[in-house]
Amino acid sequence: MPAFEEKTVTVGGAQIRYLIGGAGPQLLWLHGSEGNLGWLRLHDELARSFTVVVPTHPGFAGSERPPWLESFVDLSRFYLWIVQELNLSDAVLAGHFIGGWLAAEMAVMSPKSFTRMLLVDAAGVRPREGEITDIFLHGTEGTRQLSFFDVSQVADYELLFGTKPSPEAREAHIINREAATRYCWKPYMHDPALPPLLERLRDLPTLIVWGRQDRIVPVECGELYRKGIAGSRLEIIDRCGHFPHLEKPAEFVKVASSFLGG
Amino acid sequence: MFIMRFTERPYVAYTEEDVRRSFRSSVRLTFPNSHFNPELGADLYNEYLDEYQFSEEVGFDGLMLNEHHNTPTCLGAAMNLEAAILARITKKPKIVLLGNPLPIFDNPIRLAEELAEIDMISRGRLVSGFVRGTGIESWATNTNPVHNRERFEEAHDLIIKTWTTPGPFRWEGKHYHFRVVNPFERPLQKPHPPIWIPGVGSPETLEWCARHHYPYIYLETDPEVTVSMTDLYRKAAAELGYEPGPQNFGYLWRIHVQDTDEKALEVGKGFLVGNAGVGRVPLPADFMAPAGYNSREGSKRLLEQYKHALRPDPLYGGVDAAGWEKVVETNRVVVGSPKTVIKKIRQGLEVLRPGILGVWTNDGTISHKDTMRCLELMKEEVLPAIREIGRELDLPGPFEQAP
Repeated sequence: MPAFEEKTVTVGGAQIRYLIGGAGPQLLWLHGSEGNLGWLRLHDELARSFTVVVPTHPGFAGSERPPWLESFVDLSRFYLWIVQELNLSDAVLAGHFIGGWLAAEMAVMSPKSFTRMLLVDAAGVRPREGEITDIFLHGTEGTRQLSFFDVSQVADYELLFGTKPSPEAREAHIINREAATRYCWKPYMHDPALPPLLERLRDLPTLIVWGRQDRIVPVECGELYRKGIAGSRLEIIDRCGHFPHLEKPAEFVKVASSFLGG
Repeated sequence: MFIMRFTERPYVAYTEEDVRRSFRSSVRLTFPNSHFNPELGADLYNEYLDEYQFSEEVGFDGLMLNEHHNTPTCLGAAMNLEAAILARITKKPKIVLLGNPLPIFDNPIRLAEELAEIDMISRGRLVSGFVRGTGIESWATNTNPVHNRERFEEAHDLIIKTWTTPGPFRWEGKHYHFRVVNPFERPLQKPHPPIWIPGVGSPETLEWCARHHYPYIYLETDPEVTVSMTDLYRKAAAELGYEPGPQNFGYLWRIHVQDTDEKALEVGKGFLVGNAGVGRVPLPADFMAPAGYNSREGSKRLLEQYKHALRPDPLYGGVDAAGWEKVVETNRVVVGSPKTVIKKIRQGLEVLRPGILGVWTNDGTISHKDTMRCLELMKEEVLPAIREIGRELDLPGPFEQAP
């Protein structure tokens, strides 16, 4: 039996692709700016205790974008509709980078729709001291170099970010880059209205996980999320960059599981 | 034939090493402006205006300006200011702006006002070109590149409506929203100043131009590719039931003349560091075309257009690309004595058949003194000859025959 299935759901006229696997309570995993990297080892781990749903965001390679969907707020509102059509109720909301930002936006719009929230090196909140690195300005290669503390810690690095992508992978990369540009260009990677709204999440149990050496979104942003969401906890993983779930999978699953009760 | 003079107004007081040390080794966008010396800038702006003023005396029909941002390769960051000055200090030539980068303006009404003022101050000599801008323009103004073409088209429609429809009216578009469009100053030319569009052959733009009967000016594109790209315009025009002529096309060409071939060959080398910058260090591709700046379909069609082009392009291919000899041999830059230059221009005009010729007289490290000599020789020998060739080859410009 396959560990997961690939399915589509039509929402507002747009075909949305998603991967689904596992059993138990639902967990929605929202990918980052690089697009849907597929069914990761992480998803296998989470699928032991959860029905894991991994959609491809509208406009990213594999999912259609309704023509009116332009901004990050549009994306967040539309995603609540996707959640509705997927019959996700009482789901855990989890996401990395822009996926974490998306989770936070959806949560402040509809706090009672989710049971728990897991934010991983999330964008969305403007740091006061540092800056969120301009991944567009740095380009694909430059961004990748900044993304990891030590690539040798990433077991699937070649598979996920291989140096010789197929023509399809190259095309997908262009589509993903374009989608991230559309939603996150201005204001760059944050929503000025998000921090004051986080206060609404006082009853949503929230864990924030960060790589200490994240050179894309500084740990300071994790601190701001923690301060913004009453009762939340921040777990910082050492010797780890922007992708804790890829670079320190064992530690990541350990802290995530203890929070999620898996 | 309509003959206009152009220079990109470069700033070259920096080194290749400076470029390599800048973020992602780029001469545009991130090249630190600490390399700019306003004392020198003051001299340069005035020299460039002097050259344009003298170009009227030389006999050019038009003075062409362009606009770029965050770059030493073109000091025309606020082109309309230069245009306004030329509108006042010259009497006859058209002020040809190629062009205002529409997508980067959040307030196109302001642009409509500026252009109307220039049109009136020049007493109806404005040619208002519009461009999408390079990706650098999007970066420099933080304009989302995925909306570039939408904003270009919407800003264009809004400006044309502002010039042609009595106000006040409302505009509720996708990217632009105005509830009282009613700028008091309207342009002198009726129905509005002519619109010309320059570019490097983006298929969607060529077809859009054909739909609007706007002349398309190829910016020193590979000559062979230019001919085939013209077919796209023709095809779109044919679908609308008209046949475009030379008046629908222009070609911008680097042409530098000196008293002897030897001198011109030597001085002309200065072109190489023109819009490629000192050192000709290749620009990051995503600076010039960030994600979404070109549609994916458009990108594929553009690549298809260029499949026969010389690669790497000798003009832009970076330090290690084909050398100066190749650039001259392929006529991407025309240099020589008046006699040599006239012969080469004739050959080019026979093949490309443009009704508009942009003469890019100088750039890069070519000095003001050499430029002035070039302009004098243009006045005495080259321009009269080009005019004659234009008549002989039957190449009417857009003011002789409506595009």
